Amino acid sequence: MNRGVKRRKWKRSFPLMILFLPVIAYYVVFKFLPMFGVIMAFQDYNIRKGFLESPFVGFKYFRLIFSTPAILRVIQNTLVLGITRFLIGIPFPILLALMLNEIKRERFKKLSQTCVYLPHFLAWTIVGGMVINLFSQDTGMINGITKFFTGETYPYLYSEGSWLAIYFGSGIWKETGFSAIIYLAALTGVDTELYDAASIDGASRIRQIIHVTIPAIMPTIIINMILSVGSSVNVGFDQIYVLTNATVNNISDVISTYVYRVGLEQMQFSLTSAMGLFQSVLGMTLVLLTNHLAKRADASLW
Amino acid sequence: MRKSFSAKTIETTSMVVVGIFALLCILPVLNVFATAFSKASAVESGKVGLWPVDFSVESFLLLLKGTMAVRATWNSIVITAVGTLICIVMTVLAAYPLSKSYFIGNAFFTKMIVFTMLFSGGMIPGYIVVQKLGLIDTYWALWLPAAINTYNMIVMRTFFNGIPSELEEAAIIDGCGELALLWKIYLPLSKPVMATLILFYGVSHWNTFMNALLYINDPVKQNLSVLVQQMIKSMNVMTLELNTANPQDLQAITSAGIRAAGVVVMVIPMLIIYPFLQKYFVKGIMLGAVKG
Repeated sequence: MNRGVKRRKWKRSFPLMILFLPVIAYYVVFKFLPMFGVIMAFQDYNIRKGFLESPFVGFKYFRLIFSTPAILRVIQNTLVLGITRFLIGIPFPILLALMLNEIKRERFKKLSQTCVYLPHFLAWTIVGGMVINLFSQDTGMINGITKFFTGETYPYLYSEGSWLAIYFGSGIWKETGFSAIIYLAALTGVDTELYDAASIDGASRIRQIIHVTIPAIMPTIIINMILSVGSSVNVGFDQIYVLTNATVNNISDVISTYVYRVGLEQMQFSLTSAMGLFQSVLGMTLVLLTNHLAKRADASLW
Repeated sequence: MRKSFSAKTIETTSMVVVGIFALLCILPVLNVFATAFSKASAVESGKVGLWPVDFSVESFLLLLKGTMAVRATWNSIVITAVGTLICIVMTVLAAYPLSKSYFIGNAFFTKMIVFTMLFSGGMIPGYIVVQKLGLIDTYWALWLPAAINTYNMIVMRTFFNGIPSELEEAAIIDGCGELALLWKIYLPLSKPVMATLILFYGVSHWNTFMNALLYINDPVKQNLSVLVQQMIKSMNVMTLELNTANPQDLQAITSAGIRAAGVVVMVIPMLIIYPFLQKYFVKGIMLGAVKG
């Protein structure tokens, strides 16, 4: 009997295995092979010699990273931009979802949802184009308004403070609406009887939101945080690349843009793979750590 | 009495705040359209706000004449069409076996695949792999490394899991094999999730930027997002043809107008599919959320 079941399992698995072969090939070649490729971070990688023959140099490049102020600066930028962005990005989608949830006029709600989801689907290239279109010093609309009030224009994209504001602001602008969807989904699952009960007890709408709505979506908030904490150190290449310029490079250069510039354009393969490895390990550690903390709070991912 | 008043206040406040945010989301889009359709002199003097000043399509004409915009648009269409097809096929091939509990090695493969979401080799090792495969300057470099988005794959697997097993048992009794089962039962029932993922994959291929920058060096093969980016960074993309055409043209046009026209060309397809997109993506995200 047991053998019969096993044989049937094999028999049914076989065609599936054939379907699955290209998938295995994909993950091996494009995901796992690059993982083994991080060996080059410990080698003096030479493109003609390849992984097998390039000489091993141990932690040489990691020591170089941590003793070069310019590279440390890039790592510091990555952490500062990534973590700040992650933290200030948390409340906005939650607030938006809570507010949308309070709006009972369906047409208004639908229309505003249509507007706030749109930016997510626009490439950073486009958003970068729009930002420059708005803030450009000679033709931008924002500078038109600035000039109207103060009499002169301001180099928003070329001074560090306002560049940071534009960086964080454009991130919030692009992703708030879309991130709110997941909270809206969680909100539809809240038991309406809880509101009725709270209302009978004399709880005002604000108190109902604090004591019923927010606890109900708390697990979703935590899962979302775990999922995005890993990418917080993985500051997106596209956004920085399209928004940056030489004047603000000192604060805007992050690991991904540095790896692109120094790694591919100056062929510093070993040094930049060491930086990439450092970033990957850091990201993974953050996800596992957050998940561990959440587990103790009973809301883990797995 | 007081209670209903405060609920009303909250709704009104919410409407005001959400309304302002919704406007902020579409105003930059309007501004870029207005800039693209305005006369250069109006753009130059910073008069353009949310509506075109001195309506004109000269920015578009110069974009067509002076840049590789037509070629890049065609390239983007090819990249998107073939890329989306590859993605969908590969995602089904991954999601279907993984949705079967009797598939041998399921737990092992799932663990391995989830691990790739946590850890990656990084940009340089990935580049070396693509280069060693000889894919540089071919669109395979954009299609193959992006063939499966693991998150989307899990969404599809979750959807397959939700298809009642009674249907499957009935089909097997009728003599249906594993492949026929996928083709005749699962795929026809999966239209909503297919639509969602086609749109997601389509959008990501249309918008693809970093990989195109890394892997496509031949300017003739460049896609629209890289072209637009280059126009934004500098106006050097304007080919000789324009410079020699008519010096007055050059004077008449400002870089801002052409820049905006490039952005508009890239945004328009997105706006066209957006109603379909909106119909499906909310569902798609909720499917993913169920899995948690």
